[in-house]
Amino acid sequence: MILAPSAFIRVGFLLLLAVILQVSGASETAVFGGHADLVVLTVAAVSYYGGSITGCATGFAAGLLLDLATGATMGASSLVLTAVGYGVGRLREVRDPSHGLMPVVVGGGATAGWVVTFAAVSFMLDVGARVSPLVIRDMVLTVLLNALISLPVFMLIRRLLRPSLAVDPQELGRRRRPPRETGPLGLRGLEI
Amino acid sequence: MFDKKVVRRRRAALAIFVALSIALLTAYFGESGGGLLHAFQRGAQEAFAPVESGASRALKPARDLFGWVGDTFDAKGDNKALKAEVERLRSDLARAETGQRDASQLRQLVDLGRGDGFPEGTRPVAARVIARAPTVWYSSVKIDKGSGDGIRVDQPVIAAGGLVGKITGVTGGTAEVRLLTDASSAVTAQVMPAGASGVVRPQVGDPGDLLLDLIEGDRRVTKDTTVVTSGFTSSKIESLFPRGIPIGRVTKVDLDELEQYQRVHITPFADLRRFDIVQVLTRRPAGEQAAALTGTTP
Repeated sequence: MILAPSAFIRVGFLLLLAVILQVSGASETAVFGGHADLVVLTVAAVSYYGGSITGCATGFAAGLLLDLATGATMGASSLVLTAVGYGVGRLREVRDPSHGLMPVVVGGGATAGWVVTFAAVSFMLDVGARVSPLVIRDMVLTVLLNALISLPVFMLIRRLLRPSLAVDPQELGRRRRPPRETGPLGLRGLEI
Repeated sequence: MFDKKVVRRRRAALAIFVALSIALLTAYFGESGGGLLHAFQRGAQEAFAPVESGASRALKPARDLFGWVGDTFDAKGDNKALKAEVERLRSDLARAETGQRDASQLRQLVDLGRGDGFPEGTRPVAARVIARAPTVWYSSVKIDKGSGDGIRVDQPVIAAGGLVGKITGVTGGTAEVRLLTDASSAVTAQVMPAGASGVVRPQVGDPGDLLLDLIEGDRRVTKDTTVVTSGFTSSKIESLFPRGIPIGRVTKVDLDELEQYQRVHITPFADLRRFDIVQVLTRRPAGEQAAALTGTTP
């Protein structure tokens, strides 16, 4: 990602929007008893397009905003989302995936990582109460819902970040495709 | 293969942000409620409040649409249960009206007014939910009324049906409500009419099932009995919740569980997953309380 002031503004705006939409809308909209988590999807998308350094910075900022907005223990969400952002960014750097459905896998995987790790951190911090097995159902529903909506969310975020992206994975994918072999034999490869 | 400088920069970034997060966590746990980070959090919440309030109103139609779809699926089952409930409530109402008449006569004999129980000792302040924590581990909501409306920390909060939680943080125009389903929640309660008392605790992740850990194991608790706040008062400490706020109904009394853990299951009256309006039970000023009890205007 090109670290220009406009990139900071874009990512900051995205995070703020995601946190507000999450606490004011998505958290209160139950679908089959679960709800989507837009914050982790936003972090995953920014990390996917921006890389690991951008990913961990975005994760930290998103966690901080989320904890400030909800009054939760400060630092807990930041810690987990930093790791999620770094992980997604590294996946992009190491594997360099360019398949069109990659956002579904990345969105679902990042959400799974977030809900499981956040549960573990919450356990370690201060959960004294008994935990219902229904927590697992909630986690699975959130992962499924996020995987379902990740394609449009990633597309929207890619469009917003495009001017600041040094490398666009989808553009790379398009360039890698072999030239179409259509037309008469003598014109192959000329792309008429 | 990899540029060493890039690898070092990447690792340094990760280490810095992880260290910052851990430092934040440690400092937040270490400081008191009036510390710097808590104050910063309150300030940020106050700044977020107008935006969240606007977003909450703007997104209400979308939420209602999703809610309507879910409600339609649930309506069939609810209809049958509600019919049975209406039947039962009719007979309860007749009994309650008789009891109310008796109670008003008894009140003249016994000076009940000395204890500021619900609802005489409280003044409800209606508020709208503007934000909700996204994880089950922190069950809290934010409401659009704050210290400017007389709301203070530890005041009880009710929604349609019964108790939902208490105030844990207040700014000028907003307040944070920690719900009964939060992992740290515990409310002293009593089963009516048997009188067995205990502590209501949540089962994290299951807002439809609360646990009542009984303190007095010798009293018999049966299914379908009502659980209310016990509101105890001693010379040194006083319960945060006034006596008599409905919490839920006993739905499962497993004899093995009761014998082993002194525990029964209750279903809360209030729908803790979906509520938009709440009432905070603020305390009435002492003068107003006395006037209400004697029937005069303060």
